[in-house]
Amino acid sequence: MLFIHGDSGVDIASLAKKSRSLLKKAEDLKILEKIYIDLLGKNGEINLLLKNLGKLPKSQRKESGKVLNQLKNDLEGLFQSRQEQLKEIFFSEELKKESIDITLPGRLNESGTLHPVTSTIFEISSFFTSIGFEIASGPEAETDFYNFESLNIPNDHPAKDMHDTFYLANDSLLRTHTSPVQVRTMEKQKPPIRMICPGRVYRKDSGLTRTPMFHMIEGLVIEENASFSVLKGLLLDFIADFFGKDVDIRFRPSYFPFTEPSAEVDIKWKRGWLEILGCGMVHPNVLEMSGINSKNHSGFAFGLGLERMAMLKYDIPDLRAFFENDLRFLKQF
Amino acid sequence: MQFSRNWLKEFINLKISTEELCEQLTMLGLEVDSYRHYQSKLTGEDAIIKLDLTPNRGDCFCIMGIARELAALNGKKIKLPKIKTIKSSLKSPLKVYASDEAPRYVGRYISQLDLKKKTPPLVKERLKISNIKTIDPIVDITNYVLIELGQPIHAFDSNKLQGDLRVRFAKDKEKITLIDESKIELDQDCLVIADEKKSVALAGIMGGLDTAISKETESIYLESAFFKPEVIRGRPRKFALQTEASTRFERGVDFELQTLAVKRASSLIFEVLGGEFSPIQEFKKSSSFPQNEDIHLYVENVNKTLGLDFSKFFISKLLRSLGLIISVSTDKDFITAKIPSWRFDLKVEVDLIEEIARLVGYNKLPQEPLRTKKRNTFDSLNQSVRSCFTSRGYNEVITYSFIEESAASLVEPKIEKLVFVSNPISQNMVVMRPSLLPGLLNTLSYNQNQGIDQVKIFEIGSTFQKTSKNKVKEVELIGGLISGSEGKNNWTGSKRSLDFFDLKGDVEKVLGNSSGYVFKKAELPYLHPGKTAFLFKGKSQIGYIGSLNPKLVDKLDLKHEVNFFEIQIEKISLKGKVKFKNFSRFPLTQRDLSFILDQGISSSEVKSLISSKAGGNLKEVKLFDIYEGKGIPQGKKSLTFSLSWQAADRTLTDKETDDLVKEIVKFLSKKFNAKLRA
Repeated sequence: MLFIHGDSGVDIASLAKKSRSLLKKAEDLKILEKIYIDLLGKNGEINLLLKNLGKLPKSQRKESGKVLNQLKNDLEGLFQSRQEQLKEIFFSEELKKESIDITLPGRLNESGTLHPVTSTIFEISSFFTSIGFEIASGPEAETDFYNFESLNIPNDHPAKDMHDTFYLANDSLLRTHTSPVQVRTMEKQKPPIRMICPGRVYRKDSGLTRTPMFHMIEGLVIEENASFSVLKGLLLDFIADFFGKDVDIRFRPSYFPFTEPSAEVDIKWKRGWLEILGCGMVHPNVLEMSGINSKNHSGFAFGLGLERMAMLKYDIPDLRAFFENDLRFLKQF
Repeated sequence: MQFSRNWLKEFINLKISTEELCEQLTMLGLEVDSYRHYQSKLTGEDAIIKLDLTPNRGDCFCIMGIARELAALNGKKIKLPKIKTIKSSLKSPLKVYASDEAPRYVGRYISQLDLKKKTPPLVKERLKISNIKTIDPIVDITNYVLIELGQPIHAFDSNKLQGDLRVRFAKDKEKITLIDESKIELDQDCLVIADEKKSVALAGIMGGLDTAISKETESIYLESAFFKPEVIRGRPRKFALQTEASTRFERGVDFELQTLAVKRASSLIFEVLGGEFSPIQEFKKSSSFPQNEDIHLYVENVNKTLGLDFSKFFISKLLRSLGLIISVSTDKDFITAKIPSWRFDLKVEVDLIEEIARLVGYNKLPQEPLRTKKRNTFDSLNQSVRSCFTSRGYNEVITYSFIEESAASLVEPKIEKLVFVSNPISQNMVVMRPSLLPGLLNTLSYNQNQGIDQVKIFEIGSTFQKTSKNKVKEVELIGGLISGSEGKNNWTGSKRSLDFFDLKGDVEKVLGNSSGYVFKKAELPYLHPGKTAFLFKGKSQIGYIGSLNPKLVDKLDLKHEVNFFEIQIEKISLKGKVKFKNFSRFPLTQRDLSFILDQGISSSEVKSLISSKAGGNLKEVKLFDIYEGKGIPQGKKSLTFSLSWQAADRTLTDKETDDLVKEIVKFLSKKFNAKLRA
């Protein structure tokens, strides 16, 4: 069959044969693409023939159109299957070349770390906030009144010797404990109170086991039924939570001017007993001085050194490491 | 307080091991610091026990007091030492005037002593165990009685006393030389013992040198006095003279003990040194004795506080074992307790509740759980700010709040604004930090010297400043510092130095998307003059960021450029409650615009002008390129912004966008003489 192609006629059978062979023999995807454009593209051979159908005598048009479209579909199919074959070959060869050394390290985007004292504060705080304690804070430069007098520590009392105090040039001092925050809370807030106050404290002391600055967390509960038995129960729960269940604990009588009865809590650590916190029933004088009627209210308080807790938890041998800030130390937490 | 167990046995003989004894003491609140076995040549198997006593228990600073506690716990009675009655054969040549401050003064004159005699070996051994130096037989015996009964006794060389003794406050600037040869100047706050001419002892603390026992001493006057705690307290610290006597007087000595102590000392002196004795003289002012008020103890309060169910009779029995005199009446719900003369610490009801708890044993007291309450959410610990920095690779540090003066004046050159520590522990810790920078620089330098190349650190803490009213102003800041190379940890990618914009990006991240924060170019003497900005929130400056002045980098021997910021942490407003905002699903229109501008014009000015002219559908303006150099005239720079628009309800037309762009270009060219780059 002859078609009008420009001025010359085209033999459809030989076109079909040539096209099929070209598509089948295309060596790679690029060549295949070019053949496709030449044959089946917008201006490819087949489309040109289709466009020129109009020039044929009416009687041939329908039949020729049918044949051409069939050929077109046929060639599209051939193209697609050849393309798939060639892609398969391409990827299998190409991916072989793209092999990487998977033992090389991954790109690092290191996270930083919290200071172990902060982690310890967070951990302890989360125990207490989960049972309704609020977190309070207060100034580190304090007055004698809030640090001592309001806590039933009169001037010149030997109890004051337990707190070797740093004084600032003008009548203020660096708090020796976070108890002033408790007093400030009691002044502001009516019972019931459940609060903890973590923070920096200062004592004029230095050595292997003492640094002139360290951190404490103290707690205060003033509410109905706040008894010594509840204090014991709470602290036992807290210690079990912090260290895991299998720690031996003992309460032993002690003395703090602001609590009565007062106790210290030891845990069995390695071979001996180790003191970890002090606690007691808030002394009525302290309640009264903060404007709380001691006849109607009772409460208890406790306090502990955070560095010591962190040392026990992470097995850190030297207290001074906390403030040396060696990154090789800090990055371990 | 350290002592021999065999000595304690003379007062109470408990048939228990030393370990059990120490356990009992600790659980009574007389904490045993340590103990060790000791083989005595005189008394055989012994132990040395060291107590760590709390300041409320002055009564336990002696063997008798410790024995009293053990007796109460074990339901026993203590034995007192054997005392030989001595016939008096002399009349005392002097008398003493008691006073309100020393309401009981017991004395005895002793003469014809043979001071060639030696201190008995047992006294020597026990004093040595208690860490007391042996001096001469008389002083050794008085010290022995001090440890045994808790009564400090002083012996004057009576030949050196001039006339009668009195207890009075010192005159201002009065001087005295003490036994330890220290010369001190007194004031009207110090209680002294004086003869008719001058002070002969600092009451309750130490005797004077002039009237001290010497080799020539023939006769002595023994002083066994009760000084009120409040007239002694604070003085030993003031003169740095903490003595065995002052420790006890400050805490309170039994005011009924003085005569017994003189009898015990006399008996030992007679045994060792012989001598002739005057009768014991007691001078007192009974009206000034400490008045221990009777305490009402409500049974209900005991049981409620301790979780017990004790009867008032059982409670009375416990308290009586401690020497309290208890009256119980069947029709009252409280008991009345009379406090013994040695217990200065029992003042109010709760003090007695503690006594009951101690005798029961703290570990035997019941425990109850705290009833739970609603969980309290917290971020007062700045958790989110902290995690923002740690997630960006910063390590949190904690540095000392007190620093060197030179480091402080680096950031605060006005010395009157610095807060000094009056009694610093060292010259490195002499002033309260006015900024977090010195501590962080110190940390940087330390780590750099350890061979650590990249340092990214932050700290949250208080800084201190003196106000014009001489008050301390405390502000909590967050400060951060970066220095070193970036990318060194990776084998891929480029390596470069951490710079201003690394830090600024992290700061911007923590500030969040809130538009209330503005950086404004500024200068600080310790920062790079061209690379410093103040951070404003509204009108107030809340922080700053900058590169450390290269002069300082050089001076401090730092290896890389250092960038630092600090911000008042309470001014960082954290993400409030999250609420979903709807977003448009219509297409985004984008245009990139490059302007050629003078170098001095800041990108943020240009950006805000663009935003002001870009219409209500503007989604974002982003600076994505800065270029200077080839193709750009000298003194100029090219800034390329990427703008995007999106309407909530329709697709924007090209014309709308083109009109806006024209408007922006026109405006910028008018304002900044900016030219659109082709």
